[in-house]
Amino acid sequence: MEFDWSPEDTQHRRDVQAFLEQELPENWDEMSQHGPGGDSQAEFSRIFCGRMAEKGWLTQHWPGEYGGRDCEPWRHSIVGEEMWAIGEPRGSQYMNVNWIGPAIMNYGSDQQKVLHLPKISAGQVLWCQGFSEPEAGSDLAALRTRAEKVGDEYIINGSKIWTSYCNHADYIFLLVRTDPESSRNRGISVLLVPMDSAGIEVREIPSVVGERYFHEVFFTDVKVPTDVLLGEENNGWNVVNYALQFERIGAARYARAAVTLDKLAEVAKERGMLDDPIVVDRLGEARALCEAARVLVYKVIDIRAKDRSPTADTQLARVLSTNCDNAIGRLALEIFGPESREYASFADTNFRLAMTAGVAVGATEVQLNLIASRFLELPKE
Amino acid sequence: MNFESNEEQQAILEAIDRLLEQHAGPARAIELNRQGQYDDTLHQLLDESGFTTIASDLATENGPAGLEAALIVEAVARAGGVVACAAQMLVAPAVREASIAGPIALCTLDDLAKPVPLRFGAHAKTLMVLGIGDVHVIPLTTGELEPVRSSFGYPMGRLTEANRFFDLSAAGDCLGPEAAQTMANWWRLSLAVEAVGTMDAALTHTVEYLKQRRQFGRAIGSFQAIQHRLSLCAIGIEASRWLVREAAYHGAQNEAVAAAAAFTLETADQVFTETHQMSGAIGFTCEFDLHVWSMRLLALRQELGGVGGARRALVEARWGRTP
Repeated sequence: MEFDWSPEDTQHRRDVQAFLEQELPENWDEMSQHGPGGDSQAEFSRIFCGRMAEKGWLTQHWPGEYGGRDCEPWRHSIVGEEMWAIGEPRGSQYMNVNWIGPAIMNYGSDQQKVLHLPKISAGQVLWCQGFSEPEAGSDLAALRTRAEKVGDEYIINGSKIWTSYCNHADYIFLLVRTDPESSRNRGISVLLVPMDSAGIEVREIPSVVGERYFHEVFFTDVKVPTDVLLGEENNGWNVVNYALQFERIGAARYARAAVTLDKLAEVAKERGMLDDPIVVDRLGEARALCEAARVLVYKVIDIRAKDRSPTADTQLARVLSTNCDNAIGRLALEIFGPESREYASFADTNFRLAMTAGVAVGATEVQLNLIASRFLELPKE
Repeated sequence: MNFESNEEQQAILEAIDRLLEQHAGPARAIELNRQGQYDDTLHQLLDESGFTTIASDLATENGPAGLEAALIVEAVARAGGVVACAAQMLVAPAVREASIAGPIALCTLDDLAKPVPLRFGAHAKTLMVLGIGDVHVIPLTTGELEPVRSSFGYPMGRLTEANRFFDLSAAGDCLGPEAAQTMANWWRLSLAVEAVGTMDAALTHTVEYLKQRRQFGRAIGSFQAIQHRLSLCAIGIEASRWLVREAAYHGAQNEAVAAAAAFTLETADQVFTETHQMSGAIGFTCEFDLHVWSMRLLALRQELGGVGGARRALVEARWGRTP
């Protein structure tokens, strides 16, 4: 055990911070108030990720043969922390580099790799994930969206819901049922579907979280060539499990929470609120939580850096990271009090962006189930 | 960054576990606690096997090997060892280069003034007192502290009436402000290290029990209402473990220690509450081992301001002085 950053990693963090200072526009706070899926942030991500790609940083953790630099996951985690801490200027492209690209590398055909990986590593393509459905939320294996193979095409019918980022996406990483006789997690496949395919309709679901945050995506007789299939037909569940191991800690929520908390403490200090021992106690509690979430995420990165099989540590880290994000979102409302009632105020924005943490990418309760069975080995019965 | 043990650390962990398997464990802790005894045998074995001085023996130019010492203290706590090894292995070598005779009891000036029962107080050969900007290292002869009966899993001792007002300045070494900050940090961290090993054992014991114990025709541990709470305890313990190890590795710096202790001591309360609630009535009995660890968790939360003190220290370290 040792817990030092290498001098190169430390320097890299400084470089990334300097790069952000230089590249982010003056109105970045306003631009980023709706999160990575907001209109202005999505458009900006194409410019920003292009610049990151020029620097060689966007996919530096990828293998050289796919446009990466074979850097350790630690290096990429530094980028992730710095990006999330400031509001994720990569927009939805963080998903591309974290898990969509790696899933294509692992399961994709040569043709798919040639088509998709260069675009992702150049920062010029936006993706969304088509997982949840009206009847398949936490219980993802209940999904019904159907892809029927007819000749050399799939015909897709069904709908997806809660789909973030799809209003600007070029592709959707789509989970469908390819075997109509199957149930649960058998008979599911992943299709890499262009979002401009005829028969796809996107509708925004207005929400209290922010603009362009949730959507429904309807598929009506959408025809795509069978070569959009990722991996083997009916093996999609394994593909998704592989991908989600990367996604569950992909967003460095604790890093954003820690930066928000620093701001809250600064405000509390300016306003004399540190005279109140309860405020001091709450700030201390929150900071400890950020640190706890960080160290568990680091443990998972260490497992990945050693190329070991994913463990339940991912779930442990995920739960704490989301708890941390939620707790600091709510603390912002307490520190700012009635001022937070104004839409897009600091506390409001941070609270809204944190409030989905425990539900996105698998509800906390699902993670706790997995910890009980895989980490504590408790019986099911 | 590396979260796996290197060969040396692995060897240390295996060696300490072998020793503890033979010479510690809940049955021994229960027996010693019943008589208010200190485990002189284990203390001596830790000395003779070279564990006690590991922090200075493996010291590098960055200072004592705090992480390796912390790993041993964590293991001893897990085994319910009735020895003051946290003070001896983590606090003493950081505060003073020359060795300090153990067992060592730690306290603040305020603890002495009241006086409160101190862990290992009645058996201590040295008292380390954290003053305001100084540290007093006081050799004890016999009889300055008397045994106090306690529910909280450690042999306790308190200054006798006759010694209540003894003159600190005339009693042993006085070290300056730097030593005071060092002592505060390592003491706070050592509480968290002990809590990690102790929580770990309490949860493991509870999980094993809940896998076996059947009610309503099924193992209690199969109910989701139980599983989620156990999972949350496990998350708290794992995060505590790594925060504590990281802070020990970095030489117990203010902010890292305060964060580790704030999180760990809060988790200790959660683990106490949940393990007792889930173990039911048997959990309160002396024949059931849970109390060996659970009661200690509460004692650990009572030193150096506990959770509130750690949170306050954390806010000060990160954002500046609080009133």
